[in-house]
Amino acid sequence: MPLFFLSLILIVSGGVFPLFLWRRFVLMKTVAVLTIGAGCLLGLSDAATKLIIDGSYSTAFRYLEPFSLSFRIDALSAFFLITIFAVCLLAVLYSFNYMDQTSNALRTAVHYLFFSLLIGAMALVVSADNLITFMLSWEIMSLSSFFLVITHFEDVENRRAGYLYLVFSQVGAMFILAAFGVMFAHSGSFEFAAAAGLPETAKILVFVLAFVGFGSKAGVFPFHAWLPHAHPAAPSHISAVMSGVMIKTGIYGIIRTYTLLDWHTPVFGNIVLIAGVASGVLGVVYALGQHDLKRLLAYSSVENIGVILIGVGIGMIGAAADQPVMAVLGFAGGLLHVLNHAIFKSLLFMGAGMVLHATGTRAIDSLGGLLKRMRITGTTFLIGSLAISGLPPLSGFVSEFLIYLAGFRGLALDRGAFALCVVAIVSLAIIGGLALACFTKVVGVVFQGEPRSRAARAAHEKGPAMLAPMIVLAAACIAIGVFPGFFLPMALKAVSALGLGYDAIPLAPFVNLTGNITKAAAVIFGMFLLILALRHILYRGKTVTRAGTWGCGFTRPTARMQYTGSSYAASILEFFRPAAPLSEDHPGILGRFPQKTHYHSRIDDIAERYQGAIIVRPVLAFFDRLGWLQHGDIHLYIGYILLAIVVLLFFV
Amino acid sequence: MIEAESLSHTSLPKGWRYLPLTALGYQMKSIIFLILAMLLAPLYAGLIIKVKAFFGGRKGSPLLIHYYTLAKLLKKGSVYSTSTTALFKLGPMVSLCAAATALMFLPVAGQSPLFSFTGDVILVLYLLGLGRFFTIAAAMDTASPFEGMGAAREAYFPIICEATLFMVVILFYTLCGELNLAAYFAGDRPLALWQTAGAPLLFVIIALFIVLLTENSRVPVDDPTTHLELTMIHEVMVLDHSGPDFAFIELGAFFKLFFYSALVTRLICPFAFHHPAADALAFLVVLGLVYVAVGITESVMARYRMDKVPQFVLTSFALAFFATVITLEFLK
Repeated sequence: MPLFFLSLILIVSGGVFPLFLWRRFVLMKTVAVLTIGAGCLLGLSDAATKLIIDGSYSTAFRYLEPFSLSFRIDALSAFFLITIFAVCLLAVLYSFNYMDQTSNALRTAVHYLFFSLLIGAMALVVSADNLITFMLSWEIMSLSSFFLVITHFEDVENRRAGYLYLVFSQVGAMFILAAFGVMFAHSGSFEFAAAAGLPETAKILVFVLAFVGFGSKAGVFPFHAWLPHAHPAAPSHISAVMSGVMIKTGIYGIIRTYTLLDWHTPVFGNIVLIAGVASGVLGVVYALGQHDLKRLLAYSSVENIGVILIGVGIGMIGAAADQPVMAVLGFAGGLLHVLNHAIFKSLLFMGAGMVLHATGTRAIDSLGGLLKRMRITGTTFLIGSLAISGLPPLSGFVSEFLIYLAGFRGLALDRGAFALCVVAIVSLAIIGGLALACFTKVVGVVFQGEPRSRAARAAHEKGPAMLAPMIVLAAACIAIGVFPGFFLPMALKAVSALGLGYDAIPLAPFVNLTGNITKAAAVIFGMFLLILALRHILYRGKTVTRAGTWGCGFTRPTARMQYTGSSYAASILEFFRPAAPLSEDHPGILGRFPQKTHYHSRIDDIAERYQGAIIVRPVLAFFDRLGWLQHGDIHLYIGYILLAIVVLLFFV
Repeated sequence: MIEAESLSHTSLPKGWRYLPLTALGYQMKSIIFLILAMLLAPLYAGLIIKVKAFFGGRKGSPLLIHYYTLAKLLKKGSVYSTSTTALFKLGPMVSLCAAATALMFLPVAGQSPLFSFTGDVILVLYLLGLGRFFTIAAAMDTASPFEGMGAAREAYFPIICEATLFMVVILFYTLCGELNLAAYFAGDRPLALWQTAGAPLLFVIIALFIVLLTENSRVPVDDPTTHLELTMIHEVMVLDHSGPDFAFIELGAFFKLFFYSALVTRLICPFAFHHPAADALAFLVVLGLVYVAVGITESVMARYRMDKVPQFVLTSFALAFFATVITLEFLK
């Protein structure tokens, strides 16, 4: 039995055991965490070995005569498997302390079942080698994550979020199915390998359909509307897995489809790049406008998916223009950002989960000052924020650096590619600046300053099983940022599996590029240590006193006077008003003896707004008109069946 | 120093050969010029005060005022707000560290910088972003609404500046095909830029000057001397810093101003005299003119209303963009 399947069996059995043990809460959690954890660890080591020694692996099972299940793990799959298993390992560890309500023991057990199914299904998605296997795994993944989103189903908000997610994932799956249908119609085979022989017009159709389907899973603008609803609803470690890893299966799908079609046309690159720019910029603008910590992180995922797609899109344009360096830099940057985003986004969701656990609220503007009471959470969250803002010497910088280099190489191409690369570079710069604004807002309002509510004042971090994964992830952010030379070859090997037509990608020159980042990081740290030492000397023997913050003469400051997250973001959002309309509810202060008033603001998502008006309402109206078909009369239903059989007899 | 464009990589297969392999290296001369830049940065900032005093009909503070201020601050202790955490102390250190490290990549007076590699422009711009992150974090740490206000503006305007700077880099890259500061600003490289781009480079100079004013919180974006907290950006963010911490912030600000001014200077005076002393002299004189220009701008202009500032900064992006478009039409 190959190790890969052994690890999957371990993981799923780790999900099944709790169903029998749920009466003994701690034992159940221990068994689940240990078994799923062991499975992830095994899968991780197996995938890492496959990636390092370039061992691709394939197997096939026959199941019912026409359908065969076949699996193949190449370097691209192995790269995604590493990401999946690493994040899930830490997430399941985190769940040990996070799922601590003994009253919900059975629910926790069921949650472990679906969690393990989700991990297994994600692993199968990235290793599937034919249409049937892929679709089957994809549906298991979508459904198991749907049940995880509605873990706290008693809340009507969460049920709505779950419903929205189900609709999006099923409509997305229909698009993928349509793409696969076109593939099957032309090749007559369920095998992935047959896709390369399609005519070119069919290839474009397949790619566009698949892009819409996979894009809706990945959270590409404008198909992202489910993300900001589903992520806050799910338990935090599930949000971490969904946002960090599951949406990346959409990216995997896009890259895999591109590889299978084996046609290097700039059209694909243009589509991906434009979608990436739109998701990147709008995602971070909406993130900036959120008041809910987990919603903010969800929108930030849309942004990072955008950054990944910019990288991949530039890679595709490079491949089309036969520019190997540009293509490899673009794809490698995009793939490395997949890994990086998986790491820092799961770190940030875990941090948000800890905040939620300690204060019971996700509202950014009612938190504050948590860094003092939650040191480890605050510090790791800060590191994650620095990394996601793409600042050196942390991991986010490395992948964005590679994408920039690829984009600059594209400036030498023809006019169309030049214009797109200019757009990509400038929007990456804007995304970087906006992400910095967004995460200084989170860090500044949630973790710094004075607590804005009683809950925030009483917050304490607890649970070593929750803290340890965050520390590991924060360390990974620093490690990738300082020593990218160890991680870039992983991405490069995954790129070599893309079949771009370059037999062997020389690793040394690319690693050399990032070697400069290591040296620069050494310079930064050296300079910092020098300044630290200088500061130490300068403060020796000095009087250092503590006093209240300078209130500019005002003597009775309160915590509620602090700048809120909404006010912090207001002027930037004003600039993006056409794309991010603001709705306000503020009765104003009236009369000589004003009554208590309130102020609510919300940034509307234009995709959500127009999808509702243009797609959902007409579709609903159409089906309402067909309501007479569903009358509840069983005799007529049998008549329908008879009619269907007769019609089929004529056609088949 | 920069090693010649790429190390010989004839050993690589053909398609891969053009991957630049510049490595980090250093030279004694670069170190001397770097130290010179760091020592002179406060002096030049003093020049602005002098110019403003001249326009105001005053004698003004001595040219060396900033050295005196720094020395005074370094001698003092500090008062920390009870609201603050360790981030408040980290802020000044990281912003100084970022600005000082950025100077190491700057070709001071056209000499080769201490460090240079392909893509160092990106690193330097993001490094300044790192400094900004920590300055904002230190401001948010105090729980003061004023500092929050300043922080929000500090987070806002540089976004547009970064877009401008990357637009300028795009132009320079299309002109010379390289991606490091030394390739644009060292030796007589700027002259080569002038020769290929010509007049559109004037747009770039104005764009860079606007970015200089914005990034360094000068009039008409911000007023470094005002005492009305509501109208300030950078100064309001550092209200609670004192003693050596405040000295670090000031020094970091001088370095940053020097960095941007040096870039503008190299474009205005693109010549190389192939003698360190002559290069240094020409550079320092023109650099002085750039600082005087900042001082004159500050004396003759009023600060814009806060909601008009983005339009002003966007002008720089438009200039850089049109410079690129015009130049490309020339090239093609």
